[in-house]
Amino acid sequence: MSMTERTAHGASGAGLRKIVYYQEDVLSENGQSPVQSVRRATVAAVVSNPWAGTGPETDLSTAAEDLAPLLARVLTDRLLEGLGGAEQIEAFGKAAIVGTAGEIEHAGALIHTPFFGNLVREFLEGSSIICFADDRAEPGQPLVVPMWHKTHAATRSHYQTITTRVNDGPRADEIVVVVAASTGPRPHPRIGDRNTDPVVTSAILQGAPA
Amino acid sequence: MSARKIVTLVEEVLTEGGRPVEPAARVAVVAVVIANPWAGQGFVEDLDPGIDANASEVGALLAARVVEALGAPVEAFGKAAIVGLDGEIEHGSALIHTLKFGNHFRDAASATTLLPAVEKRGPAGVVFDIPLKHITDATIRSHHQSIEVRLADAPHAGEIVIALAAAAQGRPQQRLAPLSSEQ
Repeated sequence: MSMTERTAHGASGAGLRKIVYYQEDVLSENGQSPVQSVRRATVAAVVSNPWAGTGPETDLSTAAEDLAPLLARVLTDRLLEGLGGAEQIEAFGKAAIVGTAGEIEHAGALIHTPFFGNLVREFLEGSSIICFADDRAEPGQPLVVPMWHKTHAATRSHYQTITTRVNDGPRADEIVVVVAASTGPRPHPRIGDRNTDPVVTSAILQGAPA
Repeated sequence: MSARKIVTLVEEVLTEGGRPVEPAARVAVVAVVIANPWAGQGFVEDLDPGIDANASEVGALLAARVVEALGAPVEAFGKAAIVGLDGEIEHGSALIHTLKFGNHFRDAASATTLLPAVEKRGPAGVVFDIPLKHITDATIRSHHQSIEVRLADAPHAGEIVIALAAAAQGRPQQRLAPLSSEQ
């Protein structure tokens, strides 16, 4: 049994119903090959919402501390397998979609604490804050997940997004938790960087038609 | 074949109906987004040259990748052609309803039956379901299943999405009587 299978087995006891891996290899963009061959992927796990039916006064920390590290492990194992290891990964992002019976706060509880974020950062060998998207939605609703550079978040060439979707999740009492990563920049990055930008202020609008 | 993007989707189901599925049920899809070979040509009567130029190459690419993505012996399979809004459904059918396309997958999976298919025209982001049946006996009821697919930005109006699906097992928690047990 592989590490992924062992961890997933343990996580199924924690309410893990399904894992969806989605990968894109872009061969051509606007008629030309990308400057760098890039593979991008998302991994989405569908879990029972441990706080379904509880009120806004409920403390979220205990269940989050139990579940989030397992999810970080399962999701990044699958991502590393698909993208060829942490050394291949240049950009990352995360997301959560809570079902309609839950609170957005429940989604945040699973991805916005060190029990998830620090582990994802460690497993993917990054140092940046991980950018994110979250939503409350019906099953099958696509979510656009932002990614940026895993060690230099301001690197503009690596600002990119990928769309994640689980056809039958999250059910009302479930949460979909997602990690996304890319092995490189956008196909044809050419919008400069912080180091090449001129100083821009509202003065450039002087004399422009209102 | 002028390909823009290759998408790989793998679903693993760990519980179904509240019960564990062991081992996890695995279904894989690989889709390639290609330029419609007949785009901008008006009504083309003879599709054979376009079929000959593309179907085998697309079939070979997808068959190898979907078998690898599944990572287990293929027990059920299916195919799809989703045509962008400027094309004919006939264009998608032309590329997948030929032995030049399907035999690559049959050979790679040691399969003998026809590949069930979906053909559809739609905008980028259209959702489609690929039907799958058993690779050697299409009457094996436990393996009748489908997988839902969506590519966020394909097919464009002048493109076609061609896909293959492979399952390592039948439905999770399948428990219908076999066809042979009915009168």
